[in-house]
Amino acid sequence: MFETALTTRDLWFLAQGAGITILVTAISVVIGTILGILFGVIRVQLGPILSAPLTFVLDIFRSVPLLIQLVLTNAFVGIVLQWQISGFTVACAVLSLYTSAYCAEIVRGGIDAVPQTTRRAARSLGMTWAQDMVYIVTPLATRVALPSWIGLALGVMKDSALVYVVQVTELLKSTQILITRLQEPLFLLLICGAFYFIISFPLARLGGYLERRWSND
Amino acid sequence: MFDYTFQWGQAMARLPQMLEGAIVTMQVAVLSMVLGIALAIVLTLLRLSGSRPLMAISTTWVEVARNTPALFQIYMAHFGVASFGLYLNPFMSLLVGITFNNAGYLAENFRGALKAIPDTQARAGRSLGMTQLQAFRYIIVPQMLRISFLPMTNQMVWAILMTSLGVTVGMNTDLYGVTQDLNALTFRTFELFAIAAVIFYVITKTITLGGRLIAARLFRY
Amino acid sequence: MKTLTLIAAATALTGLAGIAQADKLDDIIASGTLRCAVVLDFPPMGMRDENNEPIGFDVDYCKDLAAALGVDAEIVETPFPERIPALMSNRVDVGVASTSDTLERAKTVGFSVPYFAFEMAVTANNSTGIDSFEAMKGFTVGAVAGTYEAIALEEYVNQWGEGSTFRPYQTQADVFLALSQGQLDATVSTSTVAQANVQSGNFGDISVVGFAPFDTDYVALFTRRDEYGFLNYLDLFVSQQVRTGRYAELYEKWVGGELPDLTIPGVYR
Repeated sequence: MFETALTTRDLWFLAQGAGITILVTAISVVIGTILGILFGVIRVQLGPILSAPLTFVLDIFRSVPLLIQLVLTNAFVGIVLQWQISGFTVACAVLSLYTSAYCAEIVRGGIDAVPQTTRRAARSLGMTWAQDMVYIVTPLATRVALPSWIGLALGVMKDSALVYVVQVTELLKSTQILITRLQEPLFLLLICGAFYFIISFPLARLGGYLERRWSND
Repeated sequence: MFDYTFQWGQAMARLPQMLEGAIVTMQVAVLSMVLGIALAIVLTLLRLSGSRPLMAISTTWVEVARNTPALFQIYMAHFGVASFGLYLNPFMSLLVGITFNNAGYLAENFRGALKAIPDTQARAGRSLGMTQLQAFRYIIVPQMLRISFLPMTNQMVWAILMTSLGVTVGMNTDLYGVTQDLNALTFRTFELFAIAAVIFYVITKTITLGGRLIAARLFRY
Repeated sequence: MKTLTLIAAATALTGLAGIAQADKLDDIIASGTLRCAVVLDFPPMGMRDENNEPIGFDVDYCKDLAAALGVDAEIVETPFPERIPALMSNRVDVGVASTSDTLERAKTVGFSVPYFAFEMAVTANNSTGIDSFEAMKGFTVGAVAGTYEAIALEEYVNQWGEGSTFRPYQTQADVFLALSQGQLDATVSTSTVAQANVQSGNFGDISVVGFAPFDTDYVALFTRRDEYGFLNYLDLFVSQQVRTGRYAELYEKWVGGELPDLTIPGVYR
């Protein structure tokens, strides 16, 4: 098993794929989180009835397989609208919205977890809505939301394995390309799996640690 | 408006085939959930066993399932384990892959749920003459399942969504596989996948809403 | 009245734009790059060298076409099922991807005259004892999703009925991987890919056991079906490749053996 035709050049090729995985994930998580906070706050402010259309749209991203979201967006943008957009952009756009749909739920949960009485107390001290949000809600909600958010970010990294379908050569696709040439599926797949694990596991542990620490007081 | 002629008729004519695919999708998801819950209970039991090797097996399973992509797990179930001479057909590969994933996530949910069940209950069971296993079976598990009911419906939705990954291991009878086959024949990519998306949406919404209704009915205190 | 004027102005503008609009051929020359869809797990037509750079017959063919147009070639890797969607969504300008010119596909894209021709070969895992196309009856067989041979083979499997199973995989590599692992008993693929894979020795105990009774698989370049100017150019390019001996040269370099005839007896195209 350790006799392999794998060269350092191939490892570099895999590292490039891993770089794409990280890049797509980073872009999508940043944009998705900003949008998610926005959507989450809008949903809480408007209440369930007025925000129903937004809820419905975000719900679609959580109810349809990501693979179909990617294929469909790619087909719509390219075939129907005839826009010249790279697969990389489509991947980032879809993953960002996908992230924002889950993030909005987390944000909503975080805000809801702040006791109404605390917020009223803040307002009665003369704080504006914005001050209440910044100084009271944000610190308290973050404690509740951060562990789930770490879970979400890691989830997006793992789900980014699907962007191969819009011709983005990320880590898993690079692995498949090497399997094609070298025919050592198990060995290559283990390298690929180990890579995801090495990034994901420590962060998942950190999330678990924060969750335990912050839930005790 | 668009420089593109939609041909919904051609795509809609394939609806019966796609609905058949949806049934296969649901079969895989339901089977993987039933097996996943059973395995997750076993993993939880292993974790509580106090034996180091058994705990290590349980932890490794849970962490690998949670920290690698589902697509990787399914690909591994087909092409990876075949390197050991174990051949799974596409249906089985997909089922094994999703079950592995389900069991890992559910075991983690159960772990959280266990915290909410006071130790004293199991001890009370023991003092009534139950064995440790009996106490687990009759006192812990029912409460554990009740507390994690909503996370379980979420996992069920995930299982449905994950079936779409079966195409990478040669699955062509589930909803995604059928849609892709039809796409190869007709190239109505947008129309076909839009219909598939609607079917997926209906299935997952039914599960979420059904789950909530059942929860409201079952868990009235 | 104002609206009417606006509509009139808009119509006039659209009309003007229509006259000035460049076609695909102009666009490619202006952009300086020709983007070709090529399948890279389809040796010897498309594959990767030890630097993981694209090589193969189709890759060279794309480079020749780009050189003729005086632009740079860009190889866009597309899996088999994604070839036509990639063109339709404007990710590529032309497909140089060993694509069979079926009538079903011609409803969506425009094909050039054939630039290559394949025979379909049966490759079997030696342990199965399969020795011909008909002997595959009752076994698990597979091919690459969405290809000419996959569609034809699936029809046969449906006729054979009970016991025979058809499995489509996403890539040619996955098919041969499954075959070498014993997950598939046999596959139908182009004879070139079958020979290349058997000779590579990567796939263990498999061999080419015969030909499939499908018609000769003529493959053509494809682009958008309304780009007559570019389609005309592609036809002429294929003809020039044969005339100048470049077709024979590339065939010798990548495949070897008897050069397939690209004309169909008894009909013009």
